[in-house]
Amino acid sequence: MKSQTCSEDSDSLNPLQSELALIFETIVLTLRVAAVATLLNLPLALALSWLVVKKRVRGAFILDVLASLPLAVPPVVVGYLLLLLLGRRGPIGSVVESSLGLEIAFTWVAAVLAAAVVSFPLVARAAMTAMEEVDERLERSARILGAGTVRVALTITLPLAYRGILAGVLLGFIRALSEFGATIIVAGNIPGKTQTVPLAIYDSIQLGRGEETRVLVLVALALALATLAVHNWLLGRSRERRA
Amino acid sequence: MRESEGTQTDAFLIFDARKAYQGFTLDCAGQFERGITAVFGPSGSGKTTLLDCVSGMLTPDEGHIEVDGAAVYSSEAKVNAPPEKRRFGYVFQHGALFPHMSVRENVEYGYKLTPRSERQFEPDDLAELLAISGLMDRGVRNLSGGERQRVALARALASSPRLLLLDEPLASLDAAHRASILTHLKSISERLAVPTVFVSHSLSEVLALAPRMYALDGGKMVEYGDTHEVISHPSVARIADYGTLENILSAKVLEQDNEDGTSRLAIGDTVLVGPPTESSPGESVSVSIRSGDIILSLGVPPLTSARNAVPAVVRDVRETGGLALVYLDMGETIVAEVTPVSARQLDLKRGRDVHLVIKTNSILAFARDAG
Repeated sequence: MKSQTCSEDSDSLNPLQSELALIFETIVLTLRVAAVATLLNLPLALALSWLVVKKRVRGAFILDVLASLPLAVPPVVVGYLLLLLLGRRGPIGSVVESSLGLEIAFTWVAAVLAAAVVSFPLVARAAMTAMEEVDERLERSARILGAGTVRVALTITLPLAYRGILAGVLLGFIRALSEFGATIIVAGNIPGKTQTVPLAIYDSIQLGRGEETRVLVLVALALALATLAVHNWLLGRSRERRA
Repeated sequence: MRESEGTQTDAFLIFDARKAYQGFTLDCAGQFERGITAVFGPSGSGKTTLLDCVSGMLTPDEGHIEVDGAAVYSSEAKVNAPPEKRRFGYVFQHGALFPHMSVRENVEYGYKLTPRSERQFEPDDLAELLAISGLMDRGVRNLSGGERQRVALARALASSPRLLLLDEPLASLDAAHRASILTHLKSISERLAVPTVFVSHSLSEVLALAPRMYALDGGKMVEYGDTHEVISHPSVARIADYGTLENILSAKVLEQDNEDGTSRLAIGDTVLVGPPTESSPGESVSVSIRSGDIILSLGVPPLTSARNAVPAVVRDVRETGGLALVYLDMGETIVAEVTPVSARQLDLKRGRDVHLVIKTNSILAFARDAG
C-alpha cells in the first residue's frame, strides 16, 4: 500500500481518494478470503459432524480432538506447519508447483487456507452441537418411514440443526476476518495481494500512520459487530424454537 | 414358543435373535401371528431392544428375523435389510413428531416415500379414523399428548406398513388419553388388519388390546401364548403387578347426567350406571374399571349401596401371586380380582353364573377423542 500511495501522490488523483480506494481493496480482499475459507469449511465440518455425532464411526474421538486442535495451538504454529506443507519444498507445495506450475505460499490462496484451518474448529464444533441436539428418535422415525440416510440428513437433521450450523459458520467467518498469526507466516503481508485488514492495521501501526490505523480499526469493528449481531439473532431464534 | 409350534404356518413374524448391547444381553425367539401381540415385561427386560432388532435400528449379533415369509435379517444368510427397506411402522412413547413440519407433512412423510402400488391407506382417511382431520394444517408444537400419539399413529400407518411396532405408545399419557388411544388402536387393528407388536409394561393395556402376549424378563422369553393364560402364569406373576389391573372397555353413552347424578353407559348389551360424564348421549366413551373394585356374587345380590349388579358367566379362573383372576363374560370379557379363598368358597369355575357388583364411582368414563 505504501509504495502505491507514493506513486499515486504525484498523480492528479486526490490523495484521500486513493487512500480510501486502497482501504476498500483491502476490505474486499479480507471479505473474499474469509468467505472462501468459510465456504471450504462448511461441507468439511458437516461431514465431520455427521461422522462423529450421528454415524459414531470408530475413531470419532480422535476426529473430534483433531478438529479442535487449531483452536488450541497458537496461530503462528498453524502458520508454520502450513508453510512446511505448502512451501516450495513442502509435500503439497512441491507437487502443486511441479504439476500446475503454481505457487501456494505467499499468495491469497495461502491466506484462505490459513484462515480456513484456524476457523475450522468453530464451524465444526457448532455443527456437532447443533446435530447432537436433534432428537435421535426423529431420525429413527424417518428411517423406518422409508427414508435413506441421505434423505434423513436433508429432511430432518439439517432443517432442525441449520440455525446452530449457520451460527457456527458466522463465528468461523468472524474468526477468518480477524486471522493474523497464521496468515502472516504462510501468506506474508503483501499489500493488494495477501494483506487483509488485520495485517494492514499491523503495518499502519508499525509505520505510525495514525489516521489509516483508526479507519482500519473502525472497519474491523464494524465488520465484527455486524456479523456478531446476525450470529446472536440466529442463536436467539433457535433457542426460541426449542422453548 | 410351545404354543406356536403346532401353528407354525400362521406365524407372521418369526425371530430368534441374540444381541449384547450396553451391558445387557437379549436372547430370545418367538413366532407371532397376525393381529396384535403384546410384548410385556418390566423396564429393562429387553422389550425395546427386541423391537429395535425387528425394526432394523439395531443389528443383532446373530440370529434370524423373518416377516411374512421373507428374512429381513439373517446372520447365516448374511441378510440385513436397512430400516427404510423393511416397510414397518413405528410409534415411540412420545410420538417423536417432526417439529419443523405440520401435522399433514408429518402424516404424509412416509406416505410419499411409499411406492404408489403399495399404498393401502390414504392420509385423509387415516386422519378421519384417528380424529385428527381438524389438526392437519396445524403445527405439531401445541398438540396434546393424545393428539401427538394419534398423529404418530397416522404417520406410521400412512406408509402402509407390513408390520406396526408400538413402543409403549401409552406410557406418557394420562388415564383419559390412554383409554382413548387404546380404543383407537383396537379399531385400527380390526379395520386395517395391520399385524401389530405392542410393547408395554402395563398388564391392563395388554389385556385390553392384545389377544396374545409374549412375556420377557432379563432379555429372555418367560412365556408366550393366549393373554389370559400368560397373564396369570406363575413365572409371569413374578414380574407382574396385579394391584393396578384394570379393565378398559368401549361403551356408548345412553344418558349423560340424570337427576340422581349418574350416567348410563352401554357396554355391548350390558348397561352400567356410572358417574356423570361430559360426553353426550350417543357418543362413544372408554370405560375403566379396576379389577379389584369388582365384587362377585352368586345369584342376584340383595339390595346393596352399589348401583350395578350385572349378570355374567365365569370363563376362567386363574390363581396367581396370592390372588385369583376371574375372567368373566358379560358380552365383553372383564377381569375381576378376588382372593383364592373367596374363589373356592364361591366355587368359581368355568360356566358358573354370577353377578358383578360394581359401585358407580368405580366406573371411570373418558371421552373417546379426549385431547
